[in-house]
Amino acid sequence: MFASIDDVVTRFAAHGYIANRRLATVVYLATGLRKPVLVEGPAGVGKTELAKVLAQALELPLIRLQCYEGLDEGKALYEWEYAKQLLYTQILKDKIGDVLRDTRTLAGAVERIAREDAVFFSERFILPRPLLKAISSEHPTVLLVDEIDKADQEFEAFLLEVLSDFQVTVPELGTLKAKHVPFVVLTSNNARELSDALKRRCLHLYVDYPDKQQELAIIGAKAPEARRELAEEVVNVVQSLRKLDLKKTPGISETLDWIKALTLLNIESLDHEMVNETFDAIVKYEGDVRKAQEELKEYLRRARVRRADGSDRDLLN
Amino acid sequence: MRAGMDEKLIEFAALLRDNGIRVSLAETLDAVDACRRVGLADRAAVYAALRCTMVKRAADGEAFDRLFALFFSGLGEVIKQASQAVQRELALSEREFQELIDQLAQLLAAHEGELSPLARELLAADSARLERRIRDAAREIRRLFPAPAGGQYRLRLKLAELIGLRRLERELGEIRQLVEESGYDPLARARMGQYVERRFNALETILQRYAGGETGQDARREREAREQQTLREKNLYYMSEQELDRIKGAVAHLAQRLKSAASVRRRITSRGRFDAKKTLRRSLRWGGVPFVLRFDKRKKDKPQIVVLCDVSDSVRNVARFMLQLMYSLQDLYWRVRSFIFVAELGEVTSHFRENDVGGALELALNGAVINVYAHSNFGRAFRIFAEDYAGAVNKKTTVLVLGDGRNNYNLPGDQFLGAIRRRAKQVLWLNPEGRATWGFGDSEMARYALQCDVVEECRNLNQLYRVVDRLLAR
Ligand SMILES: Nc1ncnc2c1ncn2[C@@H]1O[C@H](COP(=O)(O)OP(=O)(O)O)[C@@H](O)[C@H]1O
Ligand SMILES: [Mg+2]
Repeated sequence: MFASIDDVVTRFAAHGYIANRRLATVVYLATGLRKPVLVEGPAGVGKTELAKVLAQALELPLIRLQCYEGLDEGKALYEWEYAKQLLYTQILKDKIGDVLRDTRTLAGAVERIAREDAVFFSERFILPRPLLKAISSEHPTVLLVDEIDKADQEFEAFLLEVLSDFQVTVPELGTLKAKHVPFVVLTSNNARELSDALKRRCLHLYVDYPDKQQELAIIGAKAPEARRELAEEVVNVVQSLRKLDLKKTPGISETLDWIKALTLLNIESLDHEMVNETFDAIVKYEGDVRKAQEELKEYLRRARVRRADGSDRDLLN
Repeated sequence: MRAGMDEKLIEFAALLRDNGIRVSLAETLDAVDACRRVGLADRAAVYAALRCTMVKRAADGEAFDRLFALFFSGLGEVIKQASQAVQRELALSEREFQELIDQLAQLLAAHEGELSPLARELLAADSARLERRIRDAAREIRRLFPAPAGGQYRLRLKLAELIGLRRLERELGEIRQLVEESGYDPLARARMGQYVERRFNALETILQRYAGGETGQDARREREAREQQTLREKNLYYMSEQELDRIKGAVAHLAQRLKSAASVRRRITSRGRFDAKKTLRRSLRWGGVPFVLRFDKRKKDKPQIVVLCDVSDSVRNVARFMLQLMYSLQDLYWRVRSFIFVAELGEVTSHFRENDVGGALELALNGAVINVYAHSNFGRAFRIFAEDYAGAVNKKTTVLVLGDGRNNYNLPGDQFLGAIRRRAKQVLWLNPEGRATWGFGDSEMARYALQCDVVEECRNLNQLYRVVDRLLAR
C-alpha cells in the first residue's frame, strides 16, 4: 500500500509513470479506502497504463478485462469447459457402465447418473474468465476493466453487481466470495455516459491531455533517447494540434510514437523535409494530416520569426 | 474539530446539490472518509479528494471548482481582506490594531446580553464565526427560495435581513455611545469609533461579494438552460449553423439512442442454453455420440443501419442537422452506411469516417459527391439505391430515411422503397415537416408512408427525443 500521496508519485515514477498530484491523490485514496477508480478521458492519456503501473508499484498481478460491444457474462466471469467434460465422459465410459450396471429402467439410469453429475460440474471443469480469476485469487490483485463504455448497458449492470459484493454464484458450485477484494480500475473513453449507479460506487478521475511540462517529463521517462530540443519542439506542436478540431486528437501515445520515429530517422529538428513522412505517427486521418501540416508550417514560420528577432537583438547588444 | 469537518462537508454537499451537481449521501460519506485520509492541511489534496468523491460527470467539473473556491476560501478570504483593509485605513500596526480590538472587547464584555452575537463577532474580528453565520444565512435562503428570483440584489437584501443587519444598525448607536462614555483617552476613542464604523461598512461589502459570487453563477446557469430549452423547441428549418453547433452534444446522445432502437431486443441469456436439436444433428457425424454440445446463445442483434439523407437546397438547414445525426451514428458504430441524395444518390460513409463533423458536412454539401443544386427526386434516389446498393441491405438492416418527401412532381417510385423494405428488417422515416402538410402539393409522404414501418414527424429536437423514446419502447 502507499504511505502517502508523495509515495504514489515516487513509486509510479520508478515505473516510468509521471503522475500529477491530483492523480496521485485519487490513487492514494482508492487504495486506502479500497474503492474502485473510474478513470475517464480521451484516448491515449495513460488510463490503461495507470492500472498497469498500479499493479507494478504494488507488486500485484494485473488481471485485465477488455470490454467490447457484445461482451457477456460468460466471457467475463466463467464458462464450463464442455469439450473437456465430454472427453471425460468418453474416457470414463466403462466407469459409467459400472455405475449403471444394475439399473433396469431408463429412469433409474438417469437417476443414477444425476447423482454423480456433481463430478462434472466441479471447479475442474470451469474455465475462469477475468472476473472470476480476480475473485478466486489467493492473493490480492489489480483488476483492470478496460473501456467499459464499449460494453452494453446490460453488462455494466452486471458488473455493478459484482463490484458491490465481490461474490458470484455459480449455480452448480454455490457462492464464491473473494478472499481479497481486488483493487479495481475501470477506464472509459466516454463513448457513452455510464450509469449513475456505477459512478456513485467509484472514485472518479478525469484524466486530460498533459500540460507541456508533464508531457516533456513523460518523453523523458518513455523515450529517453530523444534529444531535449527536439522533444520541446514536438511537444509545442502536439499541444497546438490538440487545440485544432481534429477527428482524432493525438494522445500521449502519438507523441511518443512521433518522437521515436523522428529520433530513429536522425531528424534533429522539425524543419527537416522528412518530417512530413513521419506524420502518420501523430495523425491518422487524411483530413487531419492536412490540418497538421498547416499547423506545423505556421509553427515553423513563427519559430523563424522569433529566431530572427533574437539574432537582431543579439546584434544590437 | 472532526465533527466540524463532517458538518462542513455535509453543508458543502448541500451547496453542490443546490447548484445542480447530484451528490448522494453515500458520496458525501466517501468525501468525509477521503478528507480524513488526506488531512485538511494540504489544500490541493482536499480538492482532489472532494472532486473524485463528489463529482462524477465531467460537465460538472467547472461548477465544482467555482463552488470549492468560494466555499473553502472565498468567503474566509473576503472577510480577512476586509479586516486588513480596516487596519490599513486606520494606519495601525498589527500590534496597535490587536490592542484596539482587545480594548473594544473589554468594553463590550461589560455590556453582556445587550448586544447581538453578530455585533460581537464583527467587532471582535472573529472571522471564523462570522463566515459561518453568513453561510448559514445563505443556506437558509437557498432552502426558503430555491430559485432566487430577482438575482443578486434580492439575495443581498435577504442575506442582510436574515443575518440581522438592521438590528446591527440600531446597535451601532449604542456602541458609539459606549465608546464615548468609556474612560479611554480621546485618540483611542476616536480610533475605536472609526473602527466600528468601518467594520460595519466592511460587512456590507462582504455580503455584497458573497451574494455577487453566487447569483452570478445562478444567472448564468439559468440562462444557459433556458437557451438550450429554446433551441430544443426551435424548428430545425430556422436553425443557424452556430445553433446547430451548440446542440452537437444532444445530437450525439440521440444518435446513441437511435442505435439502440435499431437493434432487435431479445431476451439475452448470456450463459447460453443447451440446444438439443442442434446437438443431435451435429452428433450424427460421430455415430450419435454427442461429442460437441450446441448452445443457443442468442444475443441482442448488432444493428446495421443504412441512412438515406435528403440534402437538397430547400431543406439545407434541416439537412445539416440530419447529417450531424448521421455523422454521430456512424461515428459510434461501424456498421452504419451513409448515403445522401437529391436527384442522384451517393455514398458518403468513407468521407464521414475520415473527417471531423465540419469537414464531413462540407464534403457532403459542396457538390463533390452528388449535385446538391438539383431538385429532389426521391423516386429516382430510391431506384438507384434499390438497384446499385441492394447488397447494403439485409434482414438485419434498419433503413432510416431523413427527408421531407417533397418530390417535385417526379415519379414517386414508391415501389422501389417497397423493394428496399422487403429486403430490410424495417424502414423508418423521419420527416422534418408538420404532419398536417403531408400529401399536399408535391409531397408524396402519404404514399411513402405505406412503404415504411414507422413514419414520424420531427420538426425540432424535443420531438426527435420523443420519437426515439417511442421507437425504443416498441
Ligand atoms: N503519465 C504518464 N507517464 C508515462 N507514460 C504515459 C503517461 N500517460 C500515458 N503514457 C504513455 O502513453 C501511452 C498511452 O497510454 P494508454 O494508457 O494506453 O492510454 P489510454 O488507455 O488512456 O488510451 C502508453 O504508452 C503510456 O506509456
Ligand atoms: Mg486504454
